[in-house]
Amino acid sequence: MRRLLAATAAILAGSTLLAWATQGEAAAPPKATPAASPPRATDLGRPIRPLGLLPDVPVPPDNKIMPAKVELGKLLFFDARTSGDVSTSCAACHLPQLGWGDGGDLSRGYPGTQHWRNSQTILNSAYYRKLFWAGESTSLEGQADSALTGNLAGNVEPDTLEERLAQAPEYVRRFKQVFGTSRPQYPDVLKAIAAFERAVPISRDTPFDRHIRGDRKALSAGSLRGMRLYQTKARCIQCHDGPLMSDEDYHALGLPENEQFKEDPLRQIALRYQFYSRGVQDARDYRTASTDLGLYFQTLRPADTGKFRTPSLRELVHTAPYMHNGVFFSLEEVVDFYDAGGGRGPGKSPLLRPLRLSKAEKQDLIAFLKDLSGKPILVAPPDLPEYEVAR
Amino acid sequence: MNPFRSAHIAPFLAVVLFFVINAPVTRAQNASPLAQMPKPLPVKAEQVELGRKLFFDARLSGDGSLSCATCHDPARGFSDGKVLSDAYPGARHFRNALPAINAGHRRLLFWDGRLSDLADLVRDHITDAQFMNADGRLVIERLRQVPEYEEGFKKALGGEPSFGRILNAVAAYLKTLQSKDDPLDRVLAGDEAALPPDARRGLDLFAGKAGCVACHKGPLLTDEAFHALGVPANKELFEDPLRQITLRRFFKSLGSPGYTKIQDPGLYAITKRPGDRFKFRTPSLREVGRRSAFMHDGAFTSLEQVVDFYDRGGGPVAEKDPLLRPLGLSAPEKRDLVAFLSRLASPHPPDAAAPAKLEYRVRKLGQN
Repeated sequence: MRRLLAATAAILAGSTLLAWATQGEAAAPPKATPAASPPRATDLGRPIRPLGLLPDVPVPPDNKIMPAKVELGKLLFFDARTSGDVSTSCAACHLPQLGWGDGGDLSRGYPGTQHWRNSQTILNSAYYRKLFWAGESTSLEGQADSALTGNLAGNVEPDTLEERLAQAPEYVRRFKQVFGTSRPQYPDVLKAIAAFERAVPISRDTPFDRHIRGDRKALSAGSLRGMRLYQTKARCIQCHDGPLMSDEDYHALGLPENEQFKEDPLRQIALRYQFYSRGVQDARDYRTASTDLGLYFQTLRPADTGKFRTPSLRELVHTAPYMHNGVFFSLEEVVDFYDAGGGRGPGKSPLLRPLRLSKAEKQDLIAFLKDLSGKPILVAPPDLPEYEVAR
Repeated sequence: MNPFRSAHIAPFLAVVLFFVINAPVTRAQNASPLAQMPKPLPVKAEQVELGRKLFFDARLSGDGSLSCATCHDPARGFSDGKVLSDAYPGARHFRNALPAINAGHRRLLFWDGRLSDLADLVRDHITDAQFMNADGRLVIERLRQVPEYEEGFKKALGGEPSFGRILNAVAAYLKTLQSKDDPLDRVLAGDEAALPPDARRGLDLFAGKAGCVACHKGPLLTDEAFHALGVPANKELFEDPLRQITLRRFFKSLGSPGYTKIQDPGLYAITKRPGDRFKFRTPSLREVGRRSAFMHDGAFTSLEQVVDFYDRGGGPVAEKDPLLRPLGLSAPEKRDLVAFLSRLASPHPPDAAAPAKLEYRVRKLGQN
């Protein structure tokens, strides 16, 4: 383990040097902008980790990646029988061809409901230390549990799921092969899905990565200018740092509301349900619930109201719309939002301030952001094990 | 006072006939084996009206696909008219759906009698993964999105929709569903013309030679007790993977030993006492004339099959109730018994027209 950490650190350090070096020889800095160096710490004093190549996927010691487990996880990921009414597989809201999200501003959710947040991409989710928009889960296994059983998501009962799997001999055989159990067990379902997510939807070959690895032609001149802006004037690096391009911290951006919460009864139901089921104070919070309070639901600290975890920017070409409530459909809208210093909502992070980017700078920044995405990682839905009559 | 007697005060011949025909019933009457339906339970009209809306509203299920009325359809005697129940999408049940009518008067609910309170019964149906698979917290937010419900809960139960109030409102509606003026009650009230002669003879067999009243007694025609009959297993349990899944999951969730075996052990799954294996609660025979499938697993699809089964003394099972023994009924006697049973139905079932669908309305954001 220590050796693994050391190796990871070495890779990080190496990619750091590479990143700084390569950007040093990037195209000339934009006019009227001092050739600022990337800061070593955010305005709030947190050390900034340089951009770079993603290390190997972190793997928890109790859920090693094995091909048979990954294959099993793939079957489960695409199998709608993992949901209560057999309508909604993981892939229903995390479609590979839609950037492993669902393409909507707010997720569709389980039948009879409409979800309240944007369906986040599964791509590179294996790198996060916390999952979901407000970091509600601490592992992919835990995330899978919440998604499978959540009333707005899979709405399945583990006993039911286990017995469904037990009815398909191929599943029974695969679970036995991978986990050594005579009957499929729910915790192993979570492990298999997590193993699949650690092995397959991982993207480490973007133009940016190729640039870091020394491919001088990987990024255009505009993109190289954008990379410098990202780390300097555009201030993206204040939160989107490190190889994952996320500080994994929580920030309030003052985002505009998604209008659906004003207009769609099912979205209103989902919003109130979240307030009710998360145990916030009735009088103060539930009765006035009008917006997603983000991290506050977990900490109940007023200062955490409206804070959401910084998402990775990798693969963002494939993952529109953007933000926890999907209010932006294009990178242009996102860049304009940050250029204006964020939104008007309360509690906004002091890290946000007007950027005064020129039109050309915005174009360069977007060119770079697009180069953080690789080719789509597509997985065809597999043939699923069939039920057979038990004797 | 014997209600049979009042209609037979006139001609001498009739009196003689009365004693001949009614001797078994009269004798049985000493132990009060049969009785008219009890008076309707007290309910509040506003709660009933609210409960009726909820009974027909699919918002009470997880995916909004089924309401109570889906499997307890008023047009089908508050059952589903099926041999085995459908259950929640992705599941298929392994038992026959009991009619919801007269549930308010029963002391034990479900085929295995695992519940005894109407509000509990409603809760179990709404939340069970194989019935309606809903979370009460989500259901109340759905109802709060319907102005008629906000108003209805306030009027009927003095507050906004809550899960407990949902259960109580549906329970209030269930209490109003009961048999009324069926031919048995009319005979018991002295109206001998309520049954044609063959069915009238059938009633005597029911209370006499056929021995039905040993278990099917009292106002609801059930002893509220458990018996093993040796009913043949429905072959679908051995052919339909979805029924097998549903069966195993049910017994697993009850912590029933040996749940992986494809069989329905009845009361044993609840008590875990070996002596309770294959015992099921005696169902009420009120409204049995409306039913098309009988027994806990719908093993029989006609009353003739049911009568033949009991005439044989039940089926082969080690735990069989000693009350079951061959009856030696003749073919005409069987026909008479069936004629009686098939007339056990209220002429005017409870008013059960589905209420108008209530639509979601947008609320003012932030005013909850």
